[in-house]
Amino acid sequence: MHPAALIPTPDPLQVPWGWFQFLLLFTFFLHMVAMNIMIGSGVITFVKQLSNPMANEALCHDLSNQLTHAIAFTVNFGVAPLLFLQVLYGQFIYTSSIIMGAYWLSVVFLLIAAYGLAYLHKFRFTAWSAGQRRWFLGASLLCMFTVGFFFTNNVTLMQTPAAWLAYFRHPGGLFLNLAEPTLVARYLHFLVAAVATGGLFLAASAHLQQRLPAQERQARIKNGLTWFTYATMVEIGIGIVFLLSLPKPILHRFVGGDWLATSLFIGALIGSFYCIKFGNRERLWPATAALATTILLMVLVRDLARQAYLAPYFHPAELPVAPQYSPMLLFLLILILGLGIVAYMLRLGWQSTKEVQQ
Amino acid sequence: MNYPVWQLTFFGGGLTIALMAVFHVFIAQFAVGGGLFLVLTEMEGYRENSPAIIDYVRKHTKFFLLVTMVLGGITGVGIWFIIALINPSTTSILIHNFVFGWAIEWVFFVGEIVSLLLYYYTFGRMQRRHHLTLGWLYFVFAWLSLFTINGIIDFMLTPGKWLATGSFWDGIFNPTFWPSLWFRTFLALSFAGLYGFLTATAIKEDALRLRMVRFCASWLIFPLLLLMGASWWYHQALPPPIHAMLTDEPPELLPFIDIFLLGAPVLILGGLIMAIKLPQLAKQGLAVLLLLIGLCYFGAFEYIREGSRRPYTIYNYLYSSSVLKKEVPAVAQAGLLKSARWVEYKEITDQNRLAAGRELFYLACASCHSIGGPSRDIVKLTKGYNSIDGLAARLSGLGDLNSPMPPFPGTSAEQTALAAYIFEVLQQREDVAAAAATITPRQHEVPPFDPATAQYVLLGWNDYGMHTISDSDAQFSLRSPGNTIHAMLIKRGQTPQVISDGIDIHYAVEAGSANPSGQVDFWQQAASLTGQKLAPNTGSTGNGVSGLMRLAADGRTYAATDVPLVPYQEDGSYLPYPLVTLTAVDRASSAMLATTTMVAPVSTEWGCRNCHGGPWRKASAGISPETAAAILTVHDRHTKTDLAKQAKAGKPQRCQSCHPDPRQKSGNPALLSLSAAMHGFHANILKGRGADACFFCHQDGAPHGATRFFRGLHNDLGFDCTTCHGVIEDHAASLLLAEQKAGKKAAGKWLAHLQPKGVATLAELKPRQAWINEPDCLGCHTDFQAPTGLTAFNQWTPSEGELYRQRTDNLGIPCAACHNNQHAIYPATNPYDAERDNLQPRQYQGNPYPLGANKNCALCHTTEMKDEMHHPNSLRMMVFTR
Repeated sequence: MHPAALIPTPDPLQVPWGWFQFLLLFTFFLHMVAMNIMIGSGVITFVKQLSNPMANEALCHDLSNQLTHAIAFTVNFGVAPLLFLQVLYGQFIYTSSIIMGAYWLSVVFLLIAAYGLAYLHKFRFTAWSAGQRRWFLGASLLCMFTVGFFFTNNVTLMQTPAAWLAYFRHPGGLFLNLAEPTLVARYLHFLVAAVATGGLFLAASAHLQQRLPAQERQARIKNGLTWFTYATMVEIGIGIVFLLSLPKPILHRFVGGDWLATSLFIGALIGSFYCIKFGNRERLWPATAALATTILLMVLVRDLARQAYLAPYFHPAELPVAPQYSPMLLFLLILILGLGIVAYMLRLGWQSTKEVQQ
Repeated sequence: MNYPVWQLTFFGGGLTIALMAVFHVFIAQFAVGGGLFLVLTEMEGYRENSPAIIDYVRKHTKFFLLVTMVLGGITGVGIWFIIALINPSTTSILIHNFVFGWAIEWVFFVGEIVSLLLYYYTFGRMQRRHHLTLGWLYFVFAWLSLFTINGIIDFMLTPGKWLATGSFWDGIFNPTFWPSLWFRTFLALSFAGLYGFLTATAIKEDALRLRMVRFCASWLIFPLLLLMGASWWYHQALPPPIHAMLTDEPPELLPFIDIFLLGAPVLILGGLIMAIKLPQLAKQGLAVLLLLIGLCYFGAFEYIREGSRRPYTIYNYLYSSSVLKKEVPAVAQAGLLKSARWVEYKEITDQNRLAAGRELFYLACASCHSIGGPSRDIVKLTKGYNSIDGLAARLSGLGDLNSPMPPFPGTSAEQTALAAYIFEVLQQREDVAAAAATITPRQHEVPPFDPATAQYVLLGWNDYGMHTISDSDAQFSLRSPGNTIHAMLIKRGQTPQVISDGIDIHYAVEAGSANPSGQVDFWQQAASLTGQKLAPNTGSTGNGVSGLMRLAADGRTYAATDVPLVPYQEDGSYLPYPLVTLTAVDRASSAMLATTTMVAPVSTEWGCRNCHGGPWRKASAGISPETAAAILTVHDRHTKTDLAKQAKAGKPQRCQSCHPDPRQKSGNPALLSLSAAMHGFHANILKGRGADACFFCHQDGAPHGATRFFRGLHNDLGFDCTTCHGVIEDHAASLLLAEQKAGKKAAGKWLAHLQPKGVATLAELKPRQAWINEPDCLGCHTDFQAPTGLTAFNQWTPSEGELYRQRTDNLGIPCAACHNNQHAIYPATNPYDAERDNLQPRQYQGNPYPLGANKNCALCHTTEMKDEMHHPNSLRMMVFTR
């Protein structure tokens, strides 16, 4: 049986694929930032509670307060790219999800557990000892790591229809794409990137927390940027392993075979070097800009890699279109209004913080 | 068909979707109503300048935040996950058609999160006005989420104009959008009160607790009152087929409808109880109980909504089996396996039939049916079927009769493979129909006849080819014991005379079959079944197993009506062909004038158990109590009768007491006749199966059965039931057409899905009444000649007088007197004893042919005859000889 014969027939789009491509990449970027902050700040909090809990009590408390918000936004910003992914690649993502159905569904329960445990950790922070707390945070993180692992499995499985034949041996949804050569490197690439981002988030949030004593604030910024810098260094190493584990035709695209892919990849690489440079020099906002650029470029690189994987079978430009523009116009209008109201609400919140501080 | 199927067993059948969806939406509705509750309660606190109320709102907000964001938010994503896993085709359609609807809802979701987090974290730290603005914004965002999702959910139930236009707007603003929106809004508001009880009952200070619990009670009660109005509006907006699904079709929904109807009053009552002074612990317990009742109430509503959509996931567009409605004919022709992508077996062979059946199960059934699980367990639901063919037949009728089920979009080979998988693998059973019944050979004795000296010829025959009775008397009676046998005495001579003066004709059933009341329960149940209390071994006209025959109205033949006969002998064996000895005596001298022996065929081999389950009642025939009870259950379910209950109470009913039967002149004339109802219903299940369809029920006619009643010349010629009666579709449709013509609406329901086979259109079928308009022998045997074509079907006898059993020759001799009854036309071959049906020709002629055949006019005339006085072609030599 040829894998191409297994690819389901997709449903038509309402507007040309480019719109969805833009929305997918943009919202996925937001999701990546939120997810990186979530896992990164969670890991740092956990490590700090392990190493010197007494000294890091206040820092850990602050980070644990923010962790639940990060989870909320990670989930929320994950919904939109998952929606647009289904629109462009539904026939692939539904199929791979079904093949690993049991693990995929467990994501829901793992997320509830991770979220619930993070809230427990936050609300019982002062009531519990560091020893007690680390179990809850550790369990929450473990759930997040597992979710990430299942996501990595699914995303690799959806773009390799040849691996789908495993369904006929494992029709009960108990298959993981463990034979995928890029799996481990890809997974670690995401995790370490998260730690780097978590470090930067620690520094940035300390910078914004005017109420903190100056010394504490500076120490946090320095510590956060140290995490950021070293994790980025490790990330480059893992990235190289990830790159080399790609199938040769796909690897070739990023090393000169395709100008766009190569340019974006080199751009991301330069971005990560700037991350290290600014991190090392403790220049918070340039480092933040470098990180944002790098994440954005990596999101684009990742998308080109997926297109390369699926090139023998499909390109979203081939999807039929039955045009209906008015729903999209309404969405864009509501998005603008919604973002305006969100900005207004954040301003109210910001003002109240200042009022309280005054 | 397009996607692989996640092959679940116990947790299959949509159970996971249902659990996730009900749980999520129960919280999501709270997230809407609870938002308004928060901000209005906060305003109340400010208005009364009550820090205690504000403190309560703050605490409730924390609870609200945890419940709605952790459980509500994630299970919302979970619904996406699970529906895409279980029904990816539906999900893909919903995603692609409403992508910007979902995207808009996502914007509202962002707004909800930001506003709720700010609302919670700035409590007491922000200007009141601003804080209330956040609260109001949260509610607006939450309600707008409901607004959007409500459109998509109701699109699945009532897609309305979208089916024709494919427009986003037609899909969202579908026929039930507005009533559903208000229904869900009021539901959301009442849930705010329900959840509010949980935190309000935890308040320590008594006065405040009572105050807030009463406040929550008002939130629960008043929206529920409005919700009742919205429910009515929602119900009215549903199209008629969905109404019918709710009210007529599936009894499975009835308990949920009851729960839903009872739920609101119970919750209102609970709210009122909460408003009175009770100990805190009692109120806390009651709060939890009411929340659970609310969950059941809401779960019942969602189940009814989903259930009423069956057999579609998108009404009138996509079946729950993920086959588009418009694709069904093409898929049915090509086959499901060939049309599906994710199957290993494209062709069914003897080697792979069970594996292919398994693939078919997951393709066509698993989206609704679990294996051994709580959700529509296929093992339990198919337990009643006793054969693969029976189950396969049921599959072929899906979508027509049983509207909650989609049609099985596969070939008949695929139906059989699927049935075999369910039967042999899931049920772990052996196919009883596969084995032919064992028949113990019987002996006979030909009565003496000396053509040289005998003065009389005594002829005897049974009125029907087979009298198939039901022996399920304690449950119901389809037909009671009671053969009618006829006789005629002819005085031999050049001009033979029919004798009916000064003689008596006696009949006597053979000894082994002379105690029918020892074999069946009919006589115990006779009062309930027939309204007559009958002595054992006595028929309704007073005849016993032996006695005197009465002269019929024609003044020439004798008859013994309702002779109590059953196919069970004293030794427990099954003999559907008991012999009856007839003796003509001179009344004055009591001298015996003539004697003969005939078969009085009687059977109990109804094939009900093939599909309704249960064993045979006796060794190889009979309707067992289990089978009969299962039949009544189906009847009660389909037509809302209480026959099972009546039977249990010792009052079994006769089918004809409701369904008219022309033979018995009984029943409610408004209902379908028994024959039309039975054939009409079962034709929808058994169509496309030729003569095999007949044998599912009339198993006594099957070549592998224990009775094999089709034993005359026509059988030897290779005919089957359909040669004269037509295939079941036509047979049933002709009956239903007559019923329809008589103004019985129910006929249309069964007719709707029947495609005629023997003629091009239904209009070409001649309507007929059972037992009156039957296949006319002269339809083939035009002018009594050898047939030129097989055209008996659709050429019905115009009236009762033309029926074979009534018809006579030109001289008044009944056809059956010389040719035997319909299904044992001489020369017949009886499966128990080859010559058993030919005893009279054997006695009188020494051959098995019709009396007088091969120019044996001398049998009665004592000499050769040249004129065909009886009927044309009567002096022809037998062509089919043995």
